Amino acid sequence: MASPQPVRPSFSRNNSSQQVNGAHDRKPSLSSFPPQSRSVSQMSHHGPAHRSRSPQPPPAEPDRNSNLSSKGKTASTGTGFSSQHSSLQYNSNAIGRPRRKLRSQYPRKSTENHVEYILVASFDIDRGPVMEHQYPVAITGDEHMLAELMLPDQAHARNQDWTIFFLHKDSSREEDEAERQAKEERRRRRKRRLDREQGIIHESDDEDDDLDDDDDWDDDETTDEDEPEGGEGPPLVYVLNLVNTKHDKTVKRGAVVKAMAICTRHPFLHIYKPLLLLALEEYFKSPVPETLSMLFDAVNEMDLSLMPKLSLLERHLLQMSNNKDLFVEKFEQMIQMRISEDRDGLADQPFDASRSPPRRPGIFRHGTKAQLEGHASYAVPRDTHEFESRVLYKGIPIPIKVPTAIMPETVGDFSLIKLIQNFSEPHAKQPHPFPLHSHLTTNGPNTHPIIVLVNGLLTQKRVIFLGHNMPSGEVAEAVLAACALASGGILRGFTRHAFPYTDLTKVDDLLRVPGFIAGVTNPTFEHHPEWWDILCDLPSGRIKISSRIEQPAITEGLVYFQQQNPTCASLVHQSHSSSAADLTGDQAFMADMLKSIATRAGERVIRAKWRDWVLKFTRIAAAFEESVYGASALYIGSDEHDNYPHTTNSTGHGYVWADDEKKSKELAGNVTRIEGWRNTRSYYSFIQDVAQIYTIRPLKGLDLHHMHDRLRTQRLTAMQSRDIYLTFAKYVRSYDEICLLLSVAPEAHAGLFYIALGLFHKDREVRVKTAELLDRIAQHEAGQHWWRGLSRFEKLAYDRIKKEVQMTEAQAGMGGLTITPGSNEDPMRRISREG
Amino acid sequence: MGNVLSLGFMAKLFGTKEVRVLMLGLDAAGKTTILYKLKLQDHVTTIPTVGFNVETVTLRNIKFNIWDVGGQDKIRPLWRHYYSGTQGLIFVVDSADHARIDEARVELHRIINDREMKDCLLLVFANKQDIAGAMTPAEVTEKLQLNKLKDRIYAVQPTIAIEKAGLQEGFNWLSDNMKAAQKQ
Repeated sequence: MASPQPVRPSFSRNNSSQQVNGAHDRKPSLSSFPPQSRSVSQMSHHGPAHRSRSPQPPPAEPDRNSNLSSKGKTASTGTGFSSQHSSLQYNSNAIGRPRRKLRSQYPRKSTENHVEYILVASFDIDRGPVMEHQYPVAITGDEHMLAELMLPDQAHARNQDWTIFFLHKDSSREEDEAERQAKEERRRRRKRRLDREQGIIHESDDEDDDLDDDDDWDDDETTDEDEPEGGEGPPLVYVLNLVNTKHDKTVKRGAVVKAMAICTRHPFLHIYKPLLLLALEEYFKSPVPETLSMLFDAVNEMDLSLMPKLSLLERHLLQMSNNKDLFVEKFEQMIQMRISEDRDGLADQPFDASRSPPRRPGIFRHGTKAQLEGHASYAVPRDTHEFESRVLYKGIPIPIKVPTAIMPETVGDFSLIKLIQNFSEPHAKQPHPFPLHSHLTTNGPNTHPIIVLVNGLLTQKRVIFLGHNMPSGEVAEAVLAACALASGGILRGFTRHAFPYTDLTKVDDLLRVPGFIAGVTNPTFEHHPEWWDILCDLPSGRIKISSRIEQPAITEGLVYFQQQNPTCASLVHQSHSSSAADLTGDQAFMADMLKSIATRAGERVIRAKWRDWVLKFTRIAAAFEESVYGASALYIGSDEHDNYPHTTNSTGHGYVWADDEKKSKELAGNVTRIEGWRNTRSYYSFIQDVAQIYTIRPLKGLDLHHMHDRLRTQRLTAMQSRDIYLTFAKYVRSYDEICLLLSVAPEAHAGLFYIALGLFHKDREVRVKTAELLDRIAQHEAGQHWWRGLSRFEKLAYDRIKKEVQMTEAQAGMGGLTITPGSNEDPMRRISREG
Repeated sequence: MGNVLSLGFMAKLFGTKEVRVLMLGLDAAGKTTILYKLKLQDHVTTIPTVGFNVETVTLRNIKFNIWDVGGQDKIRPLWRHYYSGTQGLIFVVDSADHARIDEARVELHRIINDREMKDCLLLVFANKQDIAGAMTPAEVTEKLQLNKLKDRIYAVQPTIAIEKAGLQEGFNWLSDNMKAAQKQ
């Protein structure tokens, strides 16, 4: 290796130096298949307090009380901190911005590299695929297997091809244990700090005091707080691979086939495409390890430290919104923090000083005149959905755009539109009736193929995408799109069992993975219906259900449901024998989807619609479980309702149907696939996620989604709607709480329209309180955009109510309404400025 | 649906049928050259096959779905995945490669002894007859120990793939014996 000090890849997510060293003592082994025994050992390994990483079914019925009991413990130790009362801790200043400190997604001081390995493989005419070089160190595990993955079938027939595959880190127990301890340590420290903020002093405080400071850049900490990410085990290593075939008369048998791969933990691995193109070209010229190290250093120099870290709710909002300015304040804040840091640490950090001109640092928007003319040292992205950076490779600056908000199970740059169109067009021209399968053909033999595919993924069938004579990169894209389709950013467990590109050499291992999603180019797979349940043939756009698929047994849930709903019993059977009635609503959904695509709705719109579909499915499943089994772990909070005095039962929870008949019909349409889902990885990890999100969620026990849906879909009495409006006004106060409310009222679904209808309620209190709620939303970093989207009609009503209130106040001397204390700005002025 | 039915009817009327043929052999025996000689009637310069090639060639009213699978020793274990549904095996031998004829014999017998291949026809192409010192078909038969095979319909056909010599004769034998096997 040419580099004097090879940078060792960091596999440990811990940032304390001790941990890093410890992790390096043993090299992790990587495999392209998830470890089989892992789940078992982990189950016994972690105590009940630790969230299980296993996607496998928990040994006992999920215990919903475990959360409550652990919280009870916290309370009994006298810390008194419980996020349940978080709204009380905020003053109104906290509405606009979140209380927690803004952090970078990829801090400058982080020890974690963007790219962990660079690999080069070639096809040896005598030996087949061989690994040529690995940098900075060799990946342990099956090197030959890696080389095979890097040289996809029929690479000889194309000049260039891309593939994507994933590696599963097979970490040792010691590492897991160390990681777990470090996490617990951080958790303890954080709790102590919170306690101290509230005036609670621990005896041991002094000794830990100095340690607190390094938390400032500790990325892990916020991850813990925010979301259950990658809860199924160590993060995957994503591999982007480029293979080139160069015909060369001077070599034996006329051609050289070489492939170069980048291994990274970032799911946005597509950003490295231009770099791989340049670097592989370079490698053909000089096939030495230095070519690898040059690329390795270049990509790891990429600076993403000004990309703010968003919470789960914020990411949802950003993903659902087309607004290019949403959360732009966070980018500005990051830059301001950097500027003041630079100023403070000018002497200490020559690296930064040399990069930014010391005089007059300004913030401009990317692509603006001022920025291009070089007045700005830092620039805010043109579209906050993407962070713009660059990589300097051999003196060439290569622009890079990194997505700001990535939902779980989103890997690479696939297109749902492409996937949907590919399998919809042949079906629209001439449907091929499917053989019936109760999990899959939920609309009978003419169920839309995309729905068959999603049903298959939800019920954990083995799915193969076959693209004979297609570049393997296209096949991989289809696999990644399918994962995102079934996940909707809500469910997990798909990418971890996906093999975006695989071939015959790995088939024995593949068949050991239950419910895999694999991409292949070899048509031999079609001749083995015993290998798969669903085959998606990309060139013909046809989906096949295997002749060898296992027929599901009749489950207790189905029997109970039929006993409870004798009138619907026949519908359940009907749903998979004829397509007469669209009980699931999927036909209408697909028609709407195709219409949106035809009218050129963008990829983001289509992804948001699928997200809605998946969310609806999980909510229907929760309603089904509650009605059939009496309880559901898919929704937590129904027993917390008592914590919200003055809310009545009309607020309720769960999916909202217009009436009971519609409910039983929709349940009847869904019962078989829900029963099929209830034993899968995605079902169990969803239960874990629900429990995890519950611990960090604001407004536990209030189902804002339910309440908003009731306003949207049901005919309510004045009393019922009053309850809902007053509950919103009373409890939705803090930054996070407003985020939560905005997330159930996305701009694409009429935004604040139904909330603002409260301005027309016949009860004066409702009108006034709704106006107050809208005040708070208008001050909110994200809410201001929703406020701007409000119709003129509703804004006028708002103005009228505010005037009315002021007049009453003036008349009474001291009014019934006080403007939110501590608000810095007169809401009236704000409105006149923005209106 | 109507189209599918009428196609099936036409096929019956004119006797077009599709048979799956698997072409195996050591690396650089000439498999890909044979495939594209048949498909394109033209000589293509081949490079080592990464994985496989598959083409459909119609000869004497039979659609041959010919699979040509890469021959490097590391990837030979994959051959077995192509066995199911195969009606004919074409085993290509480099007749000039005396050093590896034993290796070829071992591989051939391994394939032939697989349960899934028990009913399949065996056609051996003794390729590269144009090279001086190439083994004759009789020598190839002997070296491959084909006389040891029981209950197997087989033939050895001398070929010069780059000149297309012997290929048509080999496929004629295949189609004759397909028909014979079908009549039984």
